[in-house]
Amino acid sequence: MKTTIPILWMMSRPAPGNKAVVALPATAFALVTALLLIVLAGALSFFTHPAPADGFGTAGAYQNLALVALALLILPLLTLGGSAARLSARRRDERLSTLRLLGATPALVGFMAVVEATAVAVLGIAAGIVLYAAALPAVALIHFQGHALGLAGLWLDPLVVLATAAALIVLAAISAAVGMRQVALTPLGVRTRQKAPTVHWVRAALGAGAAVVLYLGMANITASGSIAAVVVILLAAFAGGLALLNLMGPYVLKWFAGRQVRRAATAVRLLAARTILESPKAAWRQVSGLAMTSFIAVVAGTGLAVLNGAGAGIGTAEANLYNDMRTGVMITVVASFLLVACSAGVNQAAAILDRRELYISLDRMGMPRTVMDAARKRAIMSPVRIVTVGSAVLSGVLLFPLTGLAMIFSPLSLLVIAGILAGGIGLIWLGLAASAPVLGRVLAGGSTAAD
Amino acid sequence: MTSVILGARSLSKRYGAGIALDNVDLDIQAGESVAVMGASGSGKTTLLHTLAGITIPDAGTVSYSGTDITALNETQRSKLRRESFGFVFQQGLLIPELTAIENVALALMLNGVLRRDAEAQSAGWLAHLGLSGMEGRRIGELSGGQAQRVAIARAQVTGARIVFADEPTGALDSHTSADVMTALLEATAGRGHTLVLVTHDSTVASRCSRTLYMHDGVLSPALPARPGAAPAGESAGGSNYLAGPR
Ligand SMILES: Nc1ncnc2c1ncn2[C@@H]1O[C@H](COP(=O)(O)OP(=O)(O)O)[C@@H](O)[C@H]1O
Ligand SMILES: [Mg+2]
Repeated sequence: MKTTIPILWMMSRPAPGNKAVVALPATAFALVTALLLIVLAGALSFFTHPAPADGFGTAGAYQNLALVALALLILPLLTLGGSAARLSARRRDERLSTLRLLGATPALVGFMAVVEATAVAVLGIAAGIVLYAAALPAVALIHFQGHALGLAGLWLDPLVVLATAAALIVLAAISAAVGMRQVALTPLGVRTRQKAPTVHWVRAALGAGAAVVLYLGMANITASGSIAAVVVILLAAFAGGLALLNLMGPYVLKWFAGRQVRRAATAVRLLAARTILESPKAAWRQVSGLAMTSFIAVVAGTGLAVLNGAGAGIGTAEANLYNDMRTGVMITVVASFLLVACSAGVNQAAAILDRRELYISLDRMGMPRTVMDAARKRAIMSPVRIVTVGSAVLSGVLLFPLTGLAMIFSPLSLLVIAGILAGGIGLIWLGLAASAPVLGRVLAGGSTAAD
Repeated sequence: MTSVILGARSLSKRYGAGIALDNVDLDIQAGESVAVMGASGSGKTTLLHTLAGITIPDAGTVSYSGTDITALNETQRSKLRRESFGFVFQQGLLIPELTAIENVALALMLNGVLRRDAEAQSAGWLAHLGLSGMEGRRIGELSGGQAQRVAIARAQVTGARIVFADEPTGALDSHTSADVMTALLEATAGRGHTLVLVTHDSTVASRCSRTLYMHDGVLSPALPARPGAAPAGESAGGSNYLAGPR
């Protein structure tokens, strides 16, 4: 493939009006990199600067919790990295299909798209490292173990930074390759492959069965009432609940959307509901990270509220641990919302570009831009609301004995959880709003209006 | 009896060094079906978009029922297109996740018609165009010709007085193309409405009441009528009239 490099060079010169499409994935990668490095730095600081040894094994607890937080963030981080890579792989729509028209093989064109997407990721990752360094002084102020983290413990070994960056670059390349497999590169254009939506009621039945078993188990263990039991309940509810959500999520969205399609009285509602119904699984994928986050917020928040309320006469180290767990949960939840919001923006940008011609034709027919914008926002925000409320209620029910206790012992902490969830929904809305200029640009490119 | 529904005066539009419209004058009578032919890149789509208030010309005016639409702002033009004009594109460009009837009804719903009424009227149009029983199909489940009929229903369900069609049969075989043209002409000129159509296909053009030719942005009236072509009703008195056939 001697021709690859010159063609790549020729085709990768910046196209006018395509800035947002480079900026979005690059920003996403910058954010992913910075967050990952910060969380990594925080987690590792518990190993390099462990809490003083005491009878409770506090140091070990911190290290384990730091690892759990890291593990919880990895999934949304990878999802966002994948979406970003897919977006930049698809942004070349016209150029890629032109290449196909000129006779380039799908393999060559796909390869070029992956190279480009990776290059955009490298830009973002470099910016992310700078962002990490810039954010550290603020991160250093966060209190753990009764005092501020401090800058010294947060500087990562340059080798760790490089290894993280390398891992992210590989991730970008792999996600771009996977993303390209989901689109058909034809001479007539780059299109998302249409797959028939397959969401079966068996999912719902399985999910409901699992919920009953889980609930009975919870009720039995709670009856015994020890602290160990509380921990077991939390872990079981967490794992079980997540599995349950993933099993039922698409079905629940499909059911809600079906109802909304029948009831929709306005163009916006009809369009939004049909968009969800078109592929409940895709709609679910966009919000599943959110389900997990709401779940963490409610389960961990409830657990901490109960432990806090119950632990009146405990030592400082233990009191610190509970406080720190709360701080940790908040950081994890906020970071996770940030990632979900970014994914929403990036996915929407890709969706708009995928349907560029349709949007242009609707604009020509006189469909107001406000209707297009409202419909695509609603198609995300409606599942977001269903998922947030649904997973909060589900975890509340699974943990009913504990939520009941928490309501009595520390209603304030439940309010804080509710506030965080509401803030998270707001963040996602902002992520969607950030993709609006992409629609504006697509329409401006389509109509040749001089104004 | 003639009444001009759409009048263009001295339209010019250039893209960089290229001239897409060169001092074009055109009057279109209510109830006419006008075909615009010409080589690729000669400015046909630009003309159609300018007449429909999608594109603003560099110079010149387009008046629709006495209003200069080139003077309207984007929001006003969008409203005009949605309420008074209908559009049929080459590739249907229907919304793939909506059903056939929802695609048609959407045009009415955007104008504030209640969904139930919108779907009732749409069902009538689909039936009229030979698509009864296909109301609930999604666009991917329709053939190219059926999809174009849905697009025709969408363009006329609002009662639009002018339908603009850009190569509506460009992606169809000749047999389907003839059927779609019949449906399009019946739905528009057949009901006293106006059709402005861009096509490459002289068979398609011959079914319209008048054919115009674009050449490098210059519009000229009909060449001598060929067998089967309806005679041109009015001559488009154009300042750029290049006399005579080539
Ligand atoms: N948005 C645009 N930007 C730049 N040039 C354009 C644009 N639209 C049309 N043109 C140019 O204007 C000329 C006429 O185009 P068009 O009206 O699409 O022709 P036709 O429909 O007859 O094929 C062509 O040279 C085309 O390249
Ligand atoms: Mg054209």
